Amino acid sequence: MKRREFIQRSSLASGTLLVPNFLKAVESSVLGGANHKRVVVIQLSGGNDGLNTLIPYTNDIYYRSRPQLAVKSNDLIKITDTLGFHSQLKPLMRLYDKGYLAILNNVGYPNPDRSHFRSTDIWHTASGSDEYLTSGWMGRYIESHGQKPYNAIEIDDSLSLMLKGENMNGIATKNAKLLHNNMNTPYFKKILNQQTDQHLSEHNLGYLYKTMIEARSSAKYIYETSKTNPSKKQYPDNPFGKQLKTTAEFINSRLDTQMYYVSMGGFDTHANQVNTQSRLLHIYSDAVETFVQDLDDNGTLENTLILTFSEFGRRVQENASRGTDHGAANNVFLIGKNLKKPGFFNSGPNLNDLDANNDLKYDIDFRSIYATILSNWLGVEQKSILRTSFDTLDFV
Amino acid sequence: METKAIQHLYSRVGFGILPNDIPSLSGLKKEDVVAQLFSKSREADPLKIDLAELDDFIDNDSRQKLSRAIRQELRKKSRQKIKDYNSAWISRLVTTDQQLREKMVLFWANVFVCRDNHIFHVQQYNNTLRKHALGHLGDFLKAVAKEPAMSKYLNNRQNVKEKPNENFARELMELFTLGEGHYSEYDIKEAARAFTGWSFRPNGEFFLRQKKHDTGVKVFLGKSGNFDGNAIIDIILQQKQCARFICEKVYRYFVNPRVNQQHLNEMVAVFYPKYNIEKLMEHILLSDWFYEDENIGAKIKSPMELLVGIQRIVPLTFAKEKQLLYLQRTMGQVLLYPPNVAGWKQDRNWIDSNTLLFRMKLPSVLLNDTVINVDQKGDFEDSFEKYYADSRKRARKLDVEKDWTIFDLEFLALNRDEIRESLIRGKIDGDTLIFLDTLTNLDPKEYLVQLMSIPEYQLC
Repeated sequence: MKRREFIQRSSLASGTLLVPNFLKAVESSVLGGANHKRVVVIQLSGGNDGLNTLIPYTNDIYYRSRPQLAVKSNDLIKITDTLGFHSQLKPLMRLYDKGYLAILNNVGYPNPDRSHFRSTDIWHTASGSDEYLTSGWMGRYIESHGQKPYNAIEIDDSLSLMLKGENMNGIATKNAKLLHNNMNTPYFKKILNQQTDQHLSEHNLGYLYKTMIEARSSAKYIYETSKTNPSKKQYPDNPFGKQLKTTAEFINSRLDTQMYYVSMGGFDTHANQVNTQSRLLHIYSDAVETFVQDLDDNGTLENTLILTFSEFGRRVQENASRGTDHGAANNVFLIGKNLKKPGFFNSGPNLNDLDANNDLKYDIDFRSIYATILSNWLGVEQKSILRTSFDTLDFV
Repeated sequence: METKAIQHLYSRVGFGILPNDIPSLSGLKKEDVVAQLFSKSREADPLKIDLAELDDFIDNDSRQKLSRAIRQELRKKSRQKIKDYNSAWISRLVTTDQQLREKMVLFWANVFVCRDNHIFHVQQYNNTLRKHALGHLGDFLKAVAKEPAMSKYLNNRQNVKEKPNENFARELMELFTLGEGHYSEYDIKEAARAFTGWSFRPNGEFFLRQKKHDTGVKVFLGKSGNFDGNAIIDIILQQKQCARFICEKVYRYFVNPRVNQQHLNEMVAVFYPKYNIEKLMEHILLSDWFYEDENIGAKIKSPMELLVGIQRIVPLTFAKEKQLLYLQRTMGQVLLYPPNVAGWKQDRNWIDSNTLLFRMKLPSVLLNDTVINVDQKGDFEDSFEKYYADSRKRARKLDVEKDWTIFDLEFLALNRDEIRESLIRGKIDGDTLIFLDTLTNLDPKEYLVQLMSIPEYQLC
């Protein structure tokens, strides 16, 4: 057992999360360092239509189910005998050609839930569809392997369940300077500068002070570490591009952050899907390509794995509004330089074998992807974070 | 009764008490103060908003004949009305004299968690919570089980003899009454059969679809018979575990997030087998332990307790309903929009770096026109533009009108310590106290805002 793990565990075991001399601990130097592997998770929020992202262009059922929406076989980027990229995914195609992209098809979980909220919760907490967890898998990761809120960062202003632990949480920021300033208004400064550590053992009151102090020092750490490292890349001028630019700046500053979470909105295409999704896929792949180059230029791609998922895929059958409704299993993208099996990890969806709701069935449980990232990539024990062991996959 | 005890009582069964209301109570015995709370909350006062323009939506006959376009329009209006209802509910919390009952409604809404986008059904559900909030658990559960909003939320509408849907039966036991481990999968299947055919008409009335109801014998929690849903609920109530399950939730919410088993046992003995909610609450509020130091300031306020507590001192009028929703979202509690059937996790789960910062800034944002620069998350249903729309107007102020009349009447005559004690009863960090003592040049309003901004104000 590593020393750090040992300290972590023994402090948990004794039940004293609030150690004395707390302030000193907070201000003490950062453990870990530049060599740490990290994962960036991107959620295509709203439920991306995977079938029109990776198109089974030889499949009759696909064309029959989608008279209005199906992508014609001459209007896509063919990659295999049966699957092609949406024409807006050229940047992703280039990553594919370099061997930086792996595609996992038919990812999902048993008894899929078709509510955005619920299914997002399930993905965030790594729960089954019949259980309600109060913490997310990233939150549990930093609880057992990190020490600081900034070990997991969400590029937003508020924190999602994925980054919440039981007694410790990640931190959200899309603008490190702003967060830092917010924590340093004259008033907060006064309150916090007054603090000695003697009252931090009070139950909930101690928890509040501890959270504040950690928040402040995290904000300071993120800002001061990253401010000298503005990205030199030209990112697409849209909010998602900006989120990825910020992520790259954090990563390239070698923040001691193992997990990043970015959510991109707009994928709930119940009506007039064609143009909307084209635009979104363009925005996504364009920004991701720039992001990957930015990391590559700075030597950080080596240690970064980028996972893209949606809370669910969409129904095979199109609806009456030229859109698609909520479905089940979907494809997941993994991007990185160290993929064991770039390209297609498994075969595409079987449209002959749908579930009772006429949605795609899953082949890969999404928790197996988490398990693989935890065990094979971050090198930590998966069970304490996922609560049960899942089969690992051979992608990293 | 001691001032501190009165303040503690009102902060738990309500949203606080104003200084001028205390003298009339402090001469009374605890029994009388508590009795007064109950008598004020005696009759449930339904919360209704004007829905006249949506009447077609609930007409049993004409509803079927409406065109698709009109139905869509009605649905859109309905979603808007739910936001209006959200505001109306918060106003109710700010202005009500029935503090106890309304606090119970808030509590029950996070036990029998439900979410719907049909405003009539939402309103009806909310008023069912209000009606039974201090009644008998059995009546309460049976009413909840028949509510259209619940029927939709947990798919009981799809629960038919030929193909039972277990969702409601499962959550009824797991989340509403017994908790995991106190029933079997088989019990769920049998209970689901008993609820088959339970349905409702557009106007919200319950009715039994006879042909869809399974009248056969069911074996449930060791008993067998031709049970229907009501019988299932009666059998659940026979389990002492049900009393324990509910009492534990009550304890965490009203007394202390850390449960004292001895107190809990005492409560279970009072609650079981009659399940009289009023008697249970009365027992707690009359106990000595409720007022012990370890329970004072032990609980982290929910965003609603925070938001309403501030407004009971300085009532606010939001020019834009959207901004009130924004506050709720950013702090993680939008009334009528629980995250899932397990509800909000409460206490420490309200707090992370970002929400705490926001919560501590809230008083100055609301009362001092401080700029906020925290964007809310977009919705799943939003377009790309809308999802990020917020981020374009970085710094903004809330458009709220503040009414300082109550504050002037209640607080201007008080000295610093009295103001502080009125707002915060739990322990105050020594260093923070020293800091507060340095704030000598502030006018009373500014002092109030500063007090509301210290971490201790997050507790109640």
